Amino acid sequence: MKILAFVLAAFFFIIGLLYGLGSINFLTKSGTAHAHHVSHLVVAWILSLLCLVWARFQDAPARH
Amino acid sequence: MTDIQAIVLALLQGVSELFPISSLGHTILVPALLHWRNIDRSGPTFLAFVVVLHLGTALALLTFYRKEWWAIVRALVASVVRGKLSDERDERIGWLLVVGTIPVGILGVLLQHPVRALFGSPAPAAAFLAINGLVMFAGEALRRRQHAAVGRTDHPIERLTFAQSVGVGFAQSFALLPGISRSGASMVASLLCDLDHEDAARYSFLLATPVILAASLLEIPKLFAPDAHVVAMQAIVGCIVSGVAAYLSVAFLTRYFKSNDLRPFGWYCLIVGVTCFVLARMGVLT
Repeated sequence: MKILAFVLAAFFFIIGLLYGLGSINFLTKSGTAHAHHVSHLVVAWILSLLCLVWARFQDAPARH
Repeated sequence: MTDIQAIVLALLQGVSELFPISSLGHTILVPALLHWRNIDRSGPTFLAFVVVLHLGTALALLTFYRKEWWAIVRALVASVVRGKLSDERDERIGWLLVVGTIPVGILGVLLQHPVRALFGSPAPAAAFLAINGLVMFAGEALRRRQHAAVGRTDHPIERLTFAQSVGVGFAQSFALLPGISRSGASMVASLLCDLDHEDAARYSFLLATPVILAASLLEIPKLFAPDAHVVAMQAIVGCIVSGVAAYLSVAFLTRYFKSNDLRPFGWYCLIVGVTCFVLARMGVLT
């Protein structure tokens, strides 16, 4: 699960970067290429951060 | 936009954002009812004004629940540092809020603009407002049936499961449709997860706070659009008015839901929604 969390974190980070750079414009307001979709970037990076937090919790021993 | 219109819209936003009657639906229907044709809803000045109104509402919610938020944030940070989940109440509620915010965060960013482009006119908003009323009636009826037939009892917020919190978050996402209330949808979902009305309202308001705050913060660049400074004074007054209205609304609603349910709001939404839909079909609402 920890590996999955890291993979998802990297995935969302890259997706956010691509939205920020304007390389992708899937489901954006303007729908135009090369526009900076800041809100999409922020949400993707928040998801990336949450995946890292999830990975952090995988370190803890299981509760009994 | 005149000063009176700005104050009316600010009051409307502050009250209808937290009452389960859809703020988005009302900001479409009321200007249409009053024939405010001078307002360009997609213009940079109006968008900047709306951002500030949402900021006022979010700040009011943060102020009202300041002690809870402080405890929740501290508990969340402590659990991340520790790298371990505990059964501590504030920490549990904090992670439930985080998990519940994810669906509306993703769907909001991806679907907000296409949905509003499709349904952002008076007739669909009125129809969804009526549906919002029916959803509240259905939610109350289902809850009564659950409690009577299966013998389920209410439990506190921290007893929600993460799956239930995701469900409440998904329910909140329906508020992307103009006319469907964010607090109404999340309250109905919370009631069906065995929270009582008071806790359902509290959880709904706590869940709404990061969403409204993030939505307004993400739109702040619109305040610096070339024409946005025109409404600077109206925006400041609007922020204060919507903030005060939201604070009074949440104070009223937390008391109201100690001993009352959603049905009066259901009647309101149903009557106003059907009336506005008929008026829209007759061409009176433009």
